[in-house]
Amino acid sequence: MSENILEIKGLNKYFGTTHANKNIDFSVKKGEIKGLIGENGSGKSTLLSQIAGLYPRDSGRMLLNGREYDPQSPIDANNCGISMVMQELGVVGTLPAGVNVFLGRTSQFTRNGIVNLKALNKAAAEQFAKWDLPKVPLNELTDGMMIETRKIIELARALSVDPQLLLLDEITQSLSMNNRNRLYDLLKRLKAMGRSVIVITHDVEELIQITDSITVLRDGAVVGEVLSAKTSPDEIKRMMVGREISGEYYRADMKPDYRNKVVLSVKNLLVENEIEDVSFDVHEGEILGLCGLSDSGIHAVGKAIYGLTRRSGGTVHLVAKGLDIKNSTMALKNNMAYVPKDRDNEALMINASILDNLSMPSLSELQGKFGYIAPRKTKRLASDMTKKLSIKCTDINQTVNTLSGGNKQKVNLGRWLAKDLKLLILDCPTRGVDVGVKAYIYSLMKELKKEGIAIILISDELPEVLGMADRLIVMKGGRVAGIIRRDEDFTEHSVIGVMI
Amino acid sequence: MNKTRISFADIIPFAVFIVIFLFFEIASGGKMLSPFNLSTILEQSLITIVVGCGVLFVVAQGSIDLSVGANLALSGVVATWAANAAGGVLLVPVALLVALIVGIVNGVIVSKFKVPSFMVTIAMLIGIRGIVNYIQTIIGTQYIPESMTVLREPYIRYPAFVLLVIVMFYLFEFTKIGQYSKAIGENESTAEFIGIPVPRMKIIAFALSGLMVGFGTLFSLTSVGGTSQMMGVFFEIKVAMAIFLGGVLVTGGTSTKLYKVLLGSFSITIIVNGLALIGLSETQYSQSVEGILLLLILYVTIIANKRKNRVRALPDELEKTDLKPDQIITSGS
Repeated sequence: MSENILEIKGLNKYFGTTHANKNIDFSVKKGEIKGLIGENGSGKSTLLSQIAGLYPRDSGRMLLNGREYDPQSPIDANNCGISMVMQELGVVGTLPAGVNVFLGRTSQFTRNGIVNLKALNKAAAEQFAKWDLPKVPLNELTDGMMIETRKIIELARALSVDPQLLLLDEITQSLSMNNRNRLYDLLKRLKAMGRSVIVITHDVEELIQITDSITVLRDGAVVGEVLSAKTSPDEIKRMMVGREISGEYYRADMKPDYRNKVVLSVKNLLVENEIEDVSFDVHEGEILGLCGLSDSGIHAVGKAIYGLTRRSGGTVHLVAKGLDIKNSTMALKNNMAYVPKDRDNEALMINASILDNLSMPSLSELQGKFGYIAPRKTKRLASDMTKKLSIKCTDINQTVNTLSGGNKQKVNLGRWLAKDLKLLILDCPTRGVDVGVKAYIYSLMKELKKEGIAIILISDELPEVLGMADRLIVMKGGRVAGIIRRDEDFTEHSVIGVMI
Repeated sequence: MNKTRISFADIIPFAVFIVIFLFFEIASGGKMLSPFNLSTILEQSLITIVVGCGVLFVVAQGSIDLSVGANLALSGVVATWAANAAGGVLLVPVALLVALIVGIVNGVIVSKFKVPSFMVTIAMLIGIRGIVNYIQTIIGTQYIPESMTVLREPYIRYPAFVLLVIVMFYLFEFTKIGQYSKAIGENESTAEFIGIPVPRMKIIAFALSGLMVGFGTLFSLTSVGGTSQMMGVFFEIKVAMAIFLGGVLVTGGTSTKLYKVLLGSFSITIIVNGLALIGLSETQYSQSVEGILLLLILYVTIIANKRKNRVRALPDELEKTDLKPDQIITSGS
């Protein structure tokens, strides 16, 4: 464990006037699991993208195994033994999972211009087996698949190159607990094989646990490198932000604290092949947590409540109005809100402006006579929200895809806060956001809780639901496996016990 | 801060319009700007604009209505038939009603059975053409009743046109119908996840498209005087061309604007009209020239949009480097 597989010296990258990578010196040893951390916009993804051949660097040197390395494309990088799982690239939805694994490399299965799908799927299945990845239906289109499944397909794609150096950009946040553990095992295995990995994640504790050493970036420059065994989460956070982060961002109290009035009553909810017999009440000012392993159906519950999936049975009763929510239009009309897990594909209109994204759910409220929606009203709503949530942008007409992950999520939340909400469903609200925005989202949740809004918090991160929820519903195989109150045995240990 | 930035892609259609206008103005030795020719240009653009304003709602949603030409013929034939058979005043309601029904049928099929709109409306185009031909063989070419020729008078025709465009402008830019349509074009899942009634909005868009065809039929019938087998042939292509030429994206979305329909319609008319003015329309290859010109303009427009997209495609990390560490919000703030 001494020889460097990759060495970067004095690398610079500009986007227009933005100096995204400043004079980066960075190296990865053979058989090393390297962590890369920094806030949104600190230049982590940019650095990895250059290693993976996505864009050229502006200056500096890269050495791979001591030799000059200058990838012209991701395929070029693949040929040099480097592959990457990107943060938000995803898979081609209109192609089956198997083809996605060998995307761009189908020629090895092609004869006379016809792709031998059977051979391709067989090879894909071999990759899944070889790396011990969870099974994925290889013939199905990836379009309807969950984020997690799609991420695993991407991982299989990266691994099928048999990489010497694997780059993982925020993959763990898309995975549920059981598959995270699988990934950790995979990292150990790669390490034992003498392969190297660079991991980006916002979860500091996790990063320390799974890596050998960690490089911290801030404002595009390297601020330091530490050995994982000899550092602490606080030290890393301090390095990232440049000063001490004070205070715990979760709730401090250990008692459930909500009003008696039931806002929403879910009874015997049934969605075919997803969830069965799910019943619970949510109260005013309550944060109801939902957690479970990947096939537990927690995400399906959120969608079903908001009327986005066809329910085969059960009722979602809105108590104050005395009616059953049947579709998302009804949910919207009756002061409910839903923040989906898949921010870029389901939540936001990514090519539309901040203004349009923020005002869209509130148009009914902004209507005047003859359905007139005054532009000044939508503008006011958008600039108020931009200010309130301190969304970093130059202009409310800026398109959302130019924002960083954290600011996108603020837009995603902000469009609902402009409304008079009764119930808010959050599905993994802190996925892909940095510590600062994460803390902000939690403080926002506390504020909403105080105002008496009922919140359903669906999350793959146990510390998050344990930190925020009044009651926690643990699901398993599409059913409710247990409900734990905040003042009972509210620990990771007991929850995992119910989960598995 | 709230000033709308004008993008490169939005300027291109204007530039194209001005260039072709100037070109034909000079090439025709100034005939383009004669009062008579200007009124010809307006007259030739009128129906395209009226129908285009309706189709725009469908295009904003990322769909397309290719049945408008056939719909124009069907509502024209049926309305003229009804008016001649049972009283002149029937011309107006029957034309509107028939066209509206065709629109609603399109909308219901597209939204309920989730079939791509271009397939549905092409099928409608073919089917309706068949019906039109059948009716035509029974009743032959008909003229609109004498009592209805009053609709041809400029004091009715032009105010009606302006009013229609204003109403559609209002609906498209300042009401939920327009905003929701644009949202559906941006991202249909997002629209659904927010709670926008997507199927209903699709039916409304196709219904508006149909209704505007009804008005287009009335303008067409009163200017030509009657029906023919050739009524509305290739009209759907002209409307679609006008919309895309004006700079509307095929994917629809929030960049869709109603003024682009007007711009595109006039651009197309000026090309046809200009070719006639410089004497090219008598040659056999005038249509090819027209086609090549359209291709060129579309090419420029698409390149402009690609440029815009390339700027957009910069990575996530871009705008944030100006964020200072002390601006980080921690808990309790």
